[in-house]
Amino acid sequence: MKCRVCKGAAVIDVRRHNANFCAEHFIAHCHEQVRRTIDHFSMMQPDDRVLVAVSGGKDSLALWDILLSLGYRADGLYLGLGIGDYSTESTHYSRDFADRVKGRLVEIDLLADEGFDIPTGARLARRAPCSACGLSKRHLFNRAALEGGYDVVCTGHNLDDEAAVLLGNVLRWNVEYLGRQHPVLDARPGFVRKVKPLVRLAEREMAAYCVLRGIDYQVEECPMAAGNRHIGYKEALDGIEAGSPGTKAAFFHEFLDKASHLFTPESDVVREGLLACASCGSPTTGEVCAFCRLVERATASSSNMSVPVQLGETRS
Amino acid sequence: MRVHALLDRLDINRESVIVIRGDTLVPGDVLLLDADVVEIRPVISGGCR
Ligand code: SF4
Ligand SMILES: [Zn+2]
Ligand SMILES: [Zn+2]
Repeated sequence: MKCRVCKGAAVIDVRRHNANFCAEHFIAHCHEQVRRTIDHFSMMQPDDRVLVAVSGGKDSLALWDILLSLGYRADGLYLGLGIGDYSTESTHYSRDFADRVKGRLVEIDLLADEGFDIPTGARLARRAPCSACGLSKRHLFNRAALEGGYDVVCTGHNLDDEAAVLLGNVLRWNVEYLGRQHPVLDARPGFVRKVKPLVRLAEREMAAYCVLRGIDYQVEECPMAAGNRHIGYKEALDGIEAGSPGTKAAFFHEFLDKASHLFTPESDVVREGLLACASCGSPTTGEVCAFCRLVERATASSSNMSVPVQLGETRS
Repeated sequence: MRVHALLDRLDINRESVIVIRGDTLVPGDVLLLDADVVEIRPVISGGCR
């Protein structure tokens, strides 16, 4: 295998581009894909202050690395979830990387700062852990960005993530979610812009990028992710991709080009008429926002609770 | 045996893994020697970022 650019020995093949790359040109390829994505979707301006949601995994660390390489003023934001060894390790990976690139890592610890961790809080609030976790991330990333004066929050969702979410939404015709599935969520009063600059890069490419850049990342999965539906969708898509390279990218990007606008009005209706949360001030449809309700339940002692059961996962 | 043949034999989809030898990647067409030690690392994750 020879590198498409320099004809030197290749270290990776990217079949959907029908291309092989050496380490140097693969890294350049990843940078170029992100640069194009940012331009194409007008995700951010060169002088924006950028906050990258960092988990210690391959995607978020690669994203931070790429944005810094492209010259963005990007800081990291790490949220400690209190999920046993998994969280202890993810903290190390995130801090080590921040040290290495001399980046600023903003840290929030759910237990120290909000009074609960995901395993215990979710049980007390009678929510699925991933649902409590997703809600906490959305709320706290946004709050940290507002308080820190950032223009945009970036998350490391890659092509496989988005294609899998799309497949899940299509299989159930979740039209509301389909309308919201876009790599850019514009800023609205009380909400900072959120973008996903990795949507042109596959999960395998992000892992390869980290290895080739010498980025140590957490390979271990969060224990709560075991056996979730999302992973099954990814495996199904990889099965199709193996026989027909490019299908995943076409599935997601052609959806954005040709179909996503058809669903947008559905979701916009939901956003109208937001009020300020009585407790934290963030926009909400109820009197108190979902996160403040979660905090209240998750920090209550188990004896004085009477809360409705709310199961099922949500994804950010 | 070549990397791709090894993955096929193990019934592993090449889209779902990277293969690492030492500190770098091994592409699919590389011939592995008996003494080679490689890591086949899954890349699929739960999707929460
Ligand atoms: S798997 Fe669930 S609990 Fe674990 S980090 Fe992801 S959303 Fe949070
Ligand atoms: Zn090259
Ligand atoms: Zn609130």
